Amino acid sequence: MTADVYSNNVSFTYEHADEPALIDITLSIASGQCIVLCGASGCGKTTYSRIVNGLIPQFFHGECSGAQRTCGLDTAIEPIDGLTPLVGSVFQNPKTQYFNAKVIDELSFPAENMGLPPEAINKRIAKTARRFSIEPLLNRSIFHLSGGQKQRIALAAATMLSPRLLVLDEPTSNLDAVAIEKMRELVAQLKAAGMTIVVAEHRLAWLNGIADRYLVFDNGRIAHEYEAAEFLALSPGCIGAMGLRALDLQPYRQRIAQLESQTASSFSESPTPLLSTRNLSIGYRGRDGFTRTIPDLDFHAGQIIGLMGHNGCGKTTLVRTLTGLIKPASGTVLLNGKPAKPRELTRAGFLVMQDVNYQLFSDSVREELLLGLDESDPANTKHCNQVLEDLDLTRFADRHPMSLSGGQKQRVAIGSALMCGKDLIILDEPTSGLDRYHMEHVGELLRQLAAQGKTVLVVTHDEELAAGWCTDIINLEHNEDASKTNS
Amino acid sequence: MRSSLPVEHTASTTLTPIQPPVVSMTPGAPTYSGTADDCSTEQPGHHIRAVRTLDPRTKLFLLLTANLMLFFHVTVTTQIILVTIFLIPLVVAGRWKLTLNFALTYAVLTGLGFLDPDALGVPWLHVISALAVGCTMMLPCFITGAYAFTTTSPSEFICAMRRMHVPESVVIPCVVVIRFFPTIAEDYRQIRNAMALRGIAAGGWGLVRNPAQSLEYILIPLLMNATNVAQDLSVAAVTKGLGHTGMHTSRTQIRLRIIDWLAMIVVLIPLVLDIAGVIQ
Amino acid sequence: MTAPNSPETNAQTANQTAAKTAKTGKLEVSDLITIGVFAALYFVMVCVATLVSTLFTGGFGSIFLPAIAALISGCVYMLLAARLGKFGGITVMGVVIGLFLFISGHFVLSFIASIVFPVIADLIAKAGKYKSKALLLASYVVFSYGLTGPILPLWFMKDAYIASLQARGKDAAYIDGVFANINTGTFIISMAAILVCAIVGGWFGQKMMKKHFVKAGIV
Repeated sequence: MTADVYSNNVSFTYEHADEPALIDITLSIASGQCIVLCGASGCGKTTYSRIVNGLIPQFFHGECSGAQRTCGLDTAIEPIDGLTPLVGSVFQNPKTQYFNAKVIDELSFPAENMGLPPEAINKRIAKTARRFSIEPLLNRSIFHLSGGQKQRIALAAATMLSPRLLVLDEPTSNLDAVAIEKMRELVAQLKAAGMTIVVAEHRLAWLNGIADRYLVFDNGRIAHEYEAAEFLALSPGCIGAMGLRALDLQPYRQRIAQLESQTASSFSESPTPLLSTRNLSIGYRGRDGFTRTIPDLDFHAGQIIGLMGHNGCGKTTLVRTLTGLIKPASGTVLLNGKPAKPRELTRAGFLVMQDVNYQLFSDSVREELLLGLDESDPANTKHCNQVLEDLDLTRFADRHPMSLSGGQKQRVAIGSALMCGKDLIILDEPTSGLDRYHMEHVGELLRQLAAQGKTVLVVTHDEELAAGWCTDIINLEHNEDASKTNS
Repeated sequence: MRSSLPVEHTASTTLTPIQPPVVSMTPGAPTYSGTADDCSTEQPGHHIRAVRTLDPRTKLFLLLTANLMLFFHVTVTTQIILVTIFLIPLVVAGRWKLTLNFALTYAVLTGLGFLDPDALGVPWLHVISALAVGCTMMLPCFITGAYAFTTTSPSEFICAMRRMHVPESVVIPCVVVIRFFPTIAEDYRQIRNAMALRGIAAGGWGLVRNPAQSLEYILIPLLMNATNVAQDLSVAAVTKGLGHTGMHTSRTQIRLRIIDWLAMIVVLIPLVLDIAGVIQ
Repeated sequence: MTAPNSPETNAQTANQTAAKTAKTGKLEVSDLITIGVFAALYFVMVCVATLVSTLFTGGFGSIFLPAIAALISGCVYMLLAARLGKFGGITVMGVVIGLFLFISGHFVLSFIASIVFPVIADLIAKAGKYKSKALLLASYVVFSYGLTGPILPLWFMKDAYIASLQARGKDAAYIDGVFANINTGTFIISMAAILVCAIVGGWFGQKMMKKHFVKAGIV
């Protein structure tokens, strides 16, 4: 059997970095195999995937040593477009990896760049569209597709040239369970067709049965190497100790179901809830507008409520309604027992967005927390110091928020909410793309907020987070029959 | 000599065992004549808009003609004739509303231009009347511009640019501009939401009260995101061979048909007649 | 066409250690994409400026368009110059903007203006190796004049305008009266406004660069 990927003593240090990202990687991947690169954030798995698809050293610059052959080509000298017909790549963020506005243009894009004749391109598009069941999407604008659909288009575009090797860099970190299942089917199908597949991934469960080998990276080295059977036989504790996400989600799903039924039964709690909905229906107008009704909900102080359900079931719209960013279609939202206008809801609630970069405005963490407050007031400064301490941000007080890591930015955003005295804190997908350690960190943070008497609402697809840290679960897709769409 | 090499390379490597029939069947496959419509007509229910627009290069020609009208001080008659002609392709493309808007605007402005304020006894109408004349002069450019902008798909636009040998260093940024517009709109909405949640510069008045501050709060996240997107897009585009030195082909095929040549001649006739002084 | 492996760039990398790769002096695909992203942002700024200008000056619309655009686009320009730091970026952005202005129905002169001024701006910025603050500011001022294209017809098509007015039977004395004001007066005001606004906008952009992007380690 031939090796599609062959690395000999590969080391790499990014430009402007002090520490090497990869140290002495020696590895060969046989044709037709599926290899999973796993490990904590910053362990080097993404860097190695870039070595494989030639982005290093052709695109990401730095200091590189060792020999790397991908599909028989030396990536150090072969220009990256020489690898294009041989290697297809899919990346983490569905929003930023399509280059063309329309689906069909995105599919034809690699073939056009390679100079294939138009008839051949059209043939390939028809074939690829059938294989990925995206025929109805071909003439749509990618911008209006869901994350799962976008990722499917990305995978389809990556296979347009029938490459021998597929490199997937955390392809599921923004997807819901349904979309992940779809991704699993497609990847299994591509493997069956003989493609070699390299996946760098945090969420491991979907790869059971597809992966042939697992490589656990740690600090730029391959720490462990397992055959699939060996790896799947490891105890959950052992997997957890390596900082990896669960291999079997069944126990987590059971726990979620249990929490959900508890939430449904414990309806009448004594004190006035911070926020409740009565006969609420949400939605918006416009071309892809919709409305749906929401069962009456109560949110109490100290609760951590997980809001679940597949994409498109209205989670984001509900959250935007609860924070007053859009008006309810009908019905009322009660704040402390009184009907509240959207403006009052915006004042009381806070939303930590999935892309937290949008909500950081200042040039230092301290300024960010004090934004809009009177800085000369010693009470504010004191409060600010307290919040910095609570969120473990004191060390970064003078740093620019944008120079921090994703998790730290999240904490700064939460800090700004605490400074404004918000009582309802909503987090939108706070753990997407996080490893076990950082996911647990977010979980602890939720608990800390709840202990301070805040009401915490988490929109999430992450079963491990929901099962481990939420006190209540609401699944919007389970009462979807009450909803109606007008599209 | 470099450029020819990767192309050959492609031809051989794309013949992988997974899809052997693809290349071998292409030359005479009758169902794929290779026009842009082929794939779209296969999709039931989605935009079966039979493409009834002119070639992008013809649209460019119309735009240039509209500009020439300004250069050559065409008479009102010629202007009316040409504006009417310019509106025809818009109607054919099915942009009824746009056509109607333009036609009405033009009619009203032309009417205003002919007003005699002194006779009416309202001298200040002179200003409006003069302005209206100025606007009617610009309108042909806007009409042809709107036609080019609303009826050309990005892929047609790109294909036309490549056919006209526009350098790749202009073509690529143009693709990105088209791709990035909706992202900017979405980013802006997100940033305004984030500002509302923080209670800073909420509502329209909030923005105007402290413009420099508002500009900073909106621009900084927008630019931060833009730099990230630029990096991600580059990575995706590079792995898909955008930097490939060989010929780039296009699935969308454009060609100048008889109707295109006809359109060019039809718009030229009134202009030439006007310049020659036949139309007064 | 960009050829990533031209002899020049090979010579450059050969000076460094063989295993080390670094950015080259030519525009690569990633640079062109960065330019595209920033051109889109700049174009949006121009649209905002058009809106504001029309709101303030009514029918005369775009007289102050370049000035207002210059006032608000400093950040975009300075960040692009800092991110690329090589010749051609500013020029290409100007060309792309001009192309979009032309296709959206602006006067063809706007295309020429948005090539000539950006090239000069690019040369000025290059003289300062894209780092000298004073030269970058000067470069931004020159670049801002690239947007005068859309409003140039107001002055250079004056003859055509007068002819149209006369054709519609307007009083010649009245026409002269209107243009005495519009011509030199507004021309100077409008051009001076661009100068002042570009300096203020460029200064603001440089301030933001230092405050945010340098501090955050993005440039």
